[in-house]
Amino acid sequence: MTIEIQSLTLSYGENIILSKCNLHLSEGEILVVLGPSGCGKTTLLRAIAGFVKPDSGTIHLNGKILNELQPEQRNIGMLFQRPVLFPHKDVLGNILFAYRKKKERKMQEVDEIMKDMGIYEMKSQTIETLSGGEAQRVVLARALLTNPELLLLDEPLSSLDLDVRRQLAMEIRTTLKSKSIAAIHVTHDHEEAEIIGDRIIHWNELNLLESE
Amino acid sequence: MVLRSVRSIPILVYLGLILIPIWLAVERLMDVTGSSPFSAILSLSDHPLGSEALYFSFIQAILSAILTIAIGLPIAWWLGRHQWKHLNIIRAALTLPFVTPTIVAAMGFLALFKTGGPIDSIGIDLRFESGFIGWLSSTTGIENSGHIIALLLAHAWFNLALVIRFVEPRIATIPPRFEESIRLLPIGRTRLNRARYFWWPMLRTSIGSAFMFTFIFSFTSFALVRWLAPDMWTLEALMAVEGGAAGIPNYRTEASLLVLGGATLQGIILLLALGLAGYWEQKKAVSNDIVSETFARKTAGEPSRVARIGVSLSLIFALAPLISMLLSSVRIRDRTNESYRWSTEAWDIALTGDLTYVSALEALSNSIVYAIACMFVSVLLGYAVASSIHAFESKGKKKTAMAIDLLSMLPLALSGVMVGLGVLLGVLKVWPELFQWYGLPVIPHAMLTTPFVIRILLPTLRSLDSSYDETAAMLGYSNFQRFTKVRIPLMKSSLVVAATLSIAFSLGEFGASWILLRSGSWDTLPILVDQLMARPKYFELVEPVAMATASLLMMVTFVLFVITERFREHQGGGF
Repeated sequence: MTIEIQSLTLSYGENIILSKCNLHLSEGEILVVLGPSGCGKTTLLRAIAGFVKPDSGTIHLNGKILNELQPEQRNIGMLFQRPVLFPHKDVLGNILFAYRKKKERKMQEVDEIMKDMGIYEMKSQTIETLSGGEAQRVVLARALLTNPELLLLDEPLSSLDLDVRRQLAMEIRTTLKSKSIAAIHVTHDHEEAEIIGDRIIHWNELNLLESE
Repeated sequence: MVLRSVRSIPILVYLGLILIPIWLAVERLMDVTGSSPFSAILSLSDHPLGSEALYFSFIQAILSAILTIAIGLPIAWWLGRHQWKHLNIIRAALTLPFVTPTIVAAMGFLALFKTGGPIDSIGIDLRFESGFIGWLSSTTGIENSGHIIALLLAHAWFNLALVIRFVEPRIATIPPRFEESIRLLPIGRTRLNRARYFWWPMLRTSIGSAFMFTFIFSFTSFALVRWLAPDMWTLEALMAVEGGAAGIPNYRTEASLLVLGGATLQGIILLLALGLAGYWEQKKAVSNDIVSETFARKTAGEPSRVARIGVSLSLIFALAPLISMLLSSVRIRDRTNESYRWSTEAWDIALTGDLTYVSALEALSNSIVYAIACMFVSVLLGYAVASSIHAFESKGKKKTAMAIDLLSMLPLALSGVMVGLGVLLGVLKVWPELFQWYGLPVIPHAMLTTPFVIRILLPTLRSLDSSYDETAAMLGYSNFQRFTKVRIPLMKSSLVVAATLSIAFSLGEFGASWILLRSGSWDTLPILVDQLMARPKYFELVEPVAMATASLLMMVTFVLFVITERFREHQGGGF
């Protein structure tokens, strides 16, 4: 078992976003939540990450309850819709941000992952010089270096060209599978969902879904 | 709940720092006079100079604002409409007066207008009002017209940067297609009509803001009034002089009444002016779209001959007082034969302190210590308050955030003299030992600079994408680590600008220091300049020593200004 969400409810004022949502994810499984823009997919991920507090319900990750933990204590990685790279660092500096202390850095691992993601040659480039696809690769490499127990993908491919999107979707799936990292990917794109996901659920099913 | 309490601490400290001294001072003055602040306003006319000071404060501030707009608008127009080589250097030179300490500005204009100085040598005697200026005085019947002209010019010089910073970016970013469209319509066929129906509606909020801020700074001007129009009184100057006798029971109650009524009235006027300036600023922020400066400039093309001459003259205007002051520190007038000689004697005397209790170097070290302490207090407190406001905004508590934001701007309605009197009459009432404390000037300096720091940091905090912080949290960074490794590096430019401006402001602060530091070993450079100029001038080197001391202050400020400008470029301008 990787993640178990039970009766998760979350609302903004009178607007109910999640209503008794139940979700289960097995080890290494990639789940895609498919739904239209603005339905609340991002809010679900932000609740799992700890950026928003649910009104009720519990989130378990590998046996521990996440509800009271701060985002930094949850060991979860997240890719946002727009690649978030720190403008005061170059590509390598952004990747090394995965390590909080210098002495924790494993440079061999960094080199390997950069080569795997095809960004090794760009390591001294500034982030403004990267394309959207390259930037998301850097973000993914950085997230993977933290060895997350779960990766949350908040439509990270939505701003990319169709060809790049397809290619990167396949690369993400291959990488996650090779490292056995469980992931929840939210998108409104059916084709992307088919490429990445082991399992696809629709948003309107989610709030009614019982524990599987 | 706990978080909200933690967020409230810096706000309470900040408001305490601002409100406690003012509240205590008002309470003391009310005790002594037996009068409320509002009835004290009505008693202003009882003071022999009260009505005159109020009238002159208004008139000179309005005339200064009109003159500043009249001089600054064409410059802003030329700069905004054309492609200029070295635009950043031109902008920096024209902005320099605004960061120049007011006492340095006063010395610069004295050097420019003095007998034998550049303006006197072309037949315009603004100091002793002979020749043309004397004729003007007798014809118009306006007393001290030379002094008033000098003061208005100095205010226009000092505030020129406001017009340029407010109006020029606006002109430079209005999409050229707007003007092109109106030229094709019957209403826009003449220049006058385009000015009336297009440019004026486009620019009036920026011009209005610049006008109001110039009015505020001129209304509260002290050093320039004290030295350029010594026979005239503004409320600020009168309160500074009468403040020494205020707050003492059964002694010169009219002085206490003047300070209480004058400060209340001045506070109300400044609040109204700030409110109006803020309203126009807000309207400017929400009105129509903009294009990049480069695009608009390219469309307008190379500067015309008139524009080149106009901008060159404005550069001469901006730099002349400072150059004149520097020259006056090495050009010594020989009293025996009315000739001049070049010498560095004045600098030697200034640096050794032969004429004063402290040398210029000792005063500089005092100024630097105060400025650094002020920088630490104002940047730390300013950051804490700005991030509290931002946190309330992020949590959706817009009304709380807006209320704190407005309160944080309250000190902008306090002048240097008002803050100095607040500390003198307020804090020292309950804690007289504080008068023996070396760090005393840091309190008013921090009171005056913290609102500026908040105004610089808050927009940066608002513009910081929260996903940076969230990404760092996802990578396992604690709140403190995110502060040091993400927020601080991303805000570096704004923090450096805030810190340098805070240091520069403290270094040049005159009004509050003049109230609190009266000749002693803690004198700052501006106070030393004032003391030197106040000495009898029978010794020919007194004035050059004052000019040398002021030049030293100008050089330090100039270095800080260069640092600020370097970092400001990365931010794309702003306050």
